[in-house]
Amino acid sequence: MNSIYAVVGILICIGFYTILTKTNLIKMVIGINIIESAVILLLVALSYKPGGSAPILDKGYELVVDPIPQALALTAIVIGASTTAMMLALIIKIFSKHHTLDVREIRNLRG
Amino acid sequence: MKKIFPLILILIFASLLSVLLLNHQVIDRSLSDHYLQSGVEETGAINLVTAILFDYRGFDTLGEATVIFGVASAIAFLVPKKRATMLAATFSVAVYQTISFILPFLGVLGLYLILYGHLSPGGGFTGGVVIATISILLTITFGPDYSEKRWRYKTKTLMESFGGMTFIFIGLIGILAGSNFLANGQALFSLGKPGDLFSGGTISLLNLATGIKVGAGLAIIFNCMIKEE
Repeated sequence: MNSIYAVVGILICIGFYTILTKTNLIKMVIGINIIESAVILLLVALSYKPGGSAPILDKGYELVVDPIPQALALTAIVIGASTTAMMLALIIKIFSKHHTLDVREIRNLRG
Repeated sequence: MKKIFPLILILIFASLLSVLLLNHQVIDRSLSDHYLQSGVEETGAINLVTAILFDYRGFDTLGEATVIFGVASAIAFLVPKKRATMLAATFSVAVYQTISFILPFLGVLGLYLILYGHLSPGGGFTGGVVIATISILLTITFGPDYSEKRWRYKTKTLMESFGGMTFIFIGLIGILAGSNFLANGQALFSLGKPGDLFSGGTISLLNLATGIKVGAGLAIIFNCMIKEE
């Protein structure tokens, strides 16, 4: 069980490293998506019970997994897809204005 | 030197994260135990994930649908190019025939996922994504012009607004019936026999509204993002 949490931690660290070191905007979006996948994996791992089946209470069920984190994971997937689309649309606008995706060359974004 | 600083930051973060993740306490499952024991009687839906999404946390789902609406509006505002020249590729006959063969089945699958969302795995969001896939496949294979002709942009925006308004009106019926917003069993909706197609009160209606909204919204997002000068 702990190995799943270790995988989640490693994935989150990979995502943060990608965001901090890469200079290409699309690679930064990929890093954000890696973190998002790690969070969804954490939610699914939290709902796990050994031997549990899907939370559909039809006839003849014995043990089902926790339904609350699964509902939250569904929310997270939808919001993640929406934010990814939003980020990519903003990147399209930035590219059409600056003709580059390198954050070092986009001077207006420098803080 | 520039690579060292992020690495140190990541190492500090990783140690904090490992302390947080590996030393977690026993999870408190009292709320989910309540859902598992009395969720079917309270909502009438045997799929507990759908019951939580559209009954217990219906307001949360309304916010989620609002996010999709906002993103679709913002992308349609941000990327307002009229033409799409990127997808000018032509495929072989097999691709066209296969795509036109599977499109009706995709529609049936999407509607099935939406309508049986309270009985089996699926629901408004999943079925909506399958319905949006129809528009995406049409655009990729037959070109954006044909896709726009078959499923007009105005129809999509109308469908998305209709889905969102239906969701809110179903919620307001709960207030009119003397209960709270998005009330299901407490209002005048009959829950039916759990396991039947017409059960769960508002859950199937909300599933339908969400499916229409998500399908149209994702189709709008895709069709806006492929356009260029």
